[in-house]
Amino acid sequence: MTTTQAPATHAPTGTRRRGSLEPYLYLLPHAALFFMFTVYPIGYGLYISLHRWDLLNNTQTFVGTEFFRNLFTSGTPQFEFFWRTLWNTTFFTLVSVPLLVAAALGLAALLHRPIFGRTFFRAVFFMPGILTVSVMGILWRWMFDNQIGLVNAARDLMTGAPPIAWLSTEGLAWVPIVVGTVWWTVGFNMTLYLAAMSNIPHSLYEAAALDGATGGQQFRFITWPMLTPITLFVVITTALASFQLFGQSLVITNGGPTRSTQSVIQYITEEGFTNSQISSAAAMGFVFGLMMLVLTAAQFRLMARDVQSTEEK
Amino acid sequence: MNRLARSLSLALLLAGTATAQKVSLTYLHGFTGPDRPVMEALIKKFNDTHPNIEVRGQAQPWGTTWQQLPALVASGRAPDVVVINEDQITGFIARGALTPLTAPEMKTAGLDKNKFFGPLFKTADYKGQSYGVPISSVAYVMFYNKDLMKKVGLDPTKPPRTRAEFLRAAQLCTVDKSGKNATQAGFDPKNLDTWGVSLYNNWVGSRAAYAAILQNGGALTDRNQNAAFNSPQAISAVQFLVDLVQKYGVARPNATEEAELAAFSQGKVCMFPSGQWYLDRFESQKMNFGVTFMPRIGGSVRDAAWGGSSHLTLPRQPASYSAAKRRAALEFMAWMAQPEQNLAWTATGSLPTQAAVAGNPRFETAAISGIFDRLNNVYATSGFPWVGQVMGPFDAAWEAAYLGKKPVAKALNDGVAEANKQIEQARKNFR
Repeated sequence: MTTTQAPATHAPTGTRRRGSLEPYLYLLPHAALFFMFTVYPIGYGLYISLHRWDLLNNTQTFVGTEFFRNLFTSGTPQFEFFWRTLWNTTFFTLVSVPLLVAAALGLAALLHRPIFGRTFFRAVFFMPGILTVSVMGILWRWMFDNQIGLVNAARDLMTGAPPIAWLSTEGLAWVPIVVGTVWWTVGFNMTLYLAAMSNIPHSLYEAAALDGATGGQQFRFITWPMLTPITLFVVITTALASFQLFGQSLVITNGGPTRSTQSVIQYITEEGFTNSQISSAAAMGFVFGLMMLVLTAAQFRLMARDVQSTEEK
Repeated sequence: MNRLARSLSLALLLAGTATAQKVSLTYLHGFTGPDRPVMEALIKKFNDTHPNIEVRGQAQPWGTTWQQLPALVASGRAPDVVVINEDQITGFIARGALTPLTAPEMKTAGLDKNKFFGPLFKTADYKGQSYGVPISSVAYVMFYNKDLMKKVGLDPTKPPRTRAEFLRAAQLCTVDKSGKNATQAGFDPKNLDTWGVSLYNNWVGSRAAYAAILQNGGALTDRNQNAAFNSPQAISAVQFLVDLVQKYGVARPNATEEAELAAFSQGKVCMFPSGQWYLDRFESQKMNFGVTFMPRIGGSVRDAAWGGSSHLTLPRQPASYSAAKRRAALEFMAWMAQPEQNLAWTATGSLPTQAAVAGNPRFETAAISGIFDRLNNVYATSGFPWVGQVMGPFDAAWEAAYLGKKPVAKALNDGVAEANKQIEQARKNFR
């Protein structure tokens, strides 16, 4: 009796009243913070990028799109260095993302199986991620030092080959940065893959085994397709993180030799705080941010189609 | 309860009477490391001996101060006294963030520029006016290994002073694995056992090039404050450094600061030019080393080495700012710069700022006193508002020249071209 009555008298009036204000009250704290720390700074940043902005000047001259135009006018330092450092960052992303995804998947596949010392190895691979970028950077700078690095010492010991100038040869200077980054962050992606793997129903593998599928076939036709959504997530987050390369190249090579490993974020920081060109740095920040937005959207659409099609199967 | 109430009211009363005459100053500085307790002890000492002034020190990282100071000045809430370093100070002066210290003010406060090492006070000068009082100083020096020098037949009590002496010492020190030195026939520069001098590619390494350029009569900027480190004097000075690697083989190519530091610590290098801040490290290793001023490797025009310094400054304040505060701030600055305080400050590893301190008996047996005869020749990268725009390309030019990626003249010309493009844009900020 009560069960039929209570909703009948209570629910409609109750929900209608609540519908007016309460959800907004729940949203208010987040909305306030969102406006304060996201919307307002973006607006202010845009304002700065359109003015010759210096707090110490009484007038902030409006310059329109001058700082944006600089980025597309050949001959300006901004044009030269922005695109060069953007290419550096892109190169880093193209090299590091496949490595970070493949290594994470490989490690997860190994450590998902009930091998001896599984928890220990999971911890070992995850552990470097808790280091700060400065610790990690100094470590890899030392490892690859031209003269006193462990890598060159090991080469000498094993092959007697002369030392390689890793840190001061263009191109080679990427090796410590990429290797260091993979060592540093692969554990996080591995953990994501491990979690996703434990969610795959065991019955699928049993059925496949009954049909005579080999381990490789099981991976190819069950594990990999079932992991597509997490792969989408891992690829996007890793690519975004790689595009934000900053600390690793700053500490390991300081962007050198001759700016060949300088990341776009490092250049924006240099323009803003070393050269005191805040407006120019803000403009670069917007252009770079916009690129990331487009890239993420494109990647998302491409891979979301993949996820859908596998789920339909 | 009763006692608490009584002491509380007493405290309030005291505070009330005190604020009636007491001037309270806020003092912002970036000494956040092991130098922080030394600075705080000095502040306490000042407060204890100056009943009418209360200085409240606040330590925060330098970078934070550089970012906040413009906003604080613009909003009229700047601290009363701020410490600013040599690479930032001219930028803040040119943007109007600081106020000049007038001659009468300096006189009243008892500040005599002539007592300080000359270039040090000039670091904070701009367009004929002084803006800062130097209280801390570091410099590029040359460490040398006495044992190694003796071994190759050099007199360790007479470190080189001229280019010829320097080159000879470096050549004698550079010995290959078969025992032949760089002056002998059959010397194999590919298999070095010990070598003459440490050069390397980062910003610390590029300060050797800076010293060499000044020694040869060159400069970083011209009188219009445009970059000018590609003058014939500069090219010739830097060429000599690069020749040490490429022609004479007495310095290693592709070296990093860490590798050279380790090599010097292990007794493989005779001469290690670097920041005086490594003193502690070599002292704690019980090495038999000496410290001397940078020899005149770039040329014979003058002695010169790079130095950094920290200056007490008075930021721009709103029109309503009290004159008593400014007087008190000047008194504090003058007191802090006095020999007694400066001597206490040298415990942090800073160099003396004035001859009166350098002559203190405490330094008689100290290794660092090896550079004291030429402290008047330490030059900061200062005097132009765009230090970042000049030093970035300069460091890059040194890197390219040292690593052999570009010929010296091209490296320096490219650096100057880049710096001047950046300066042209930065100029629009100053009107």
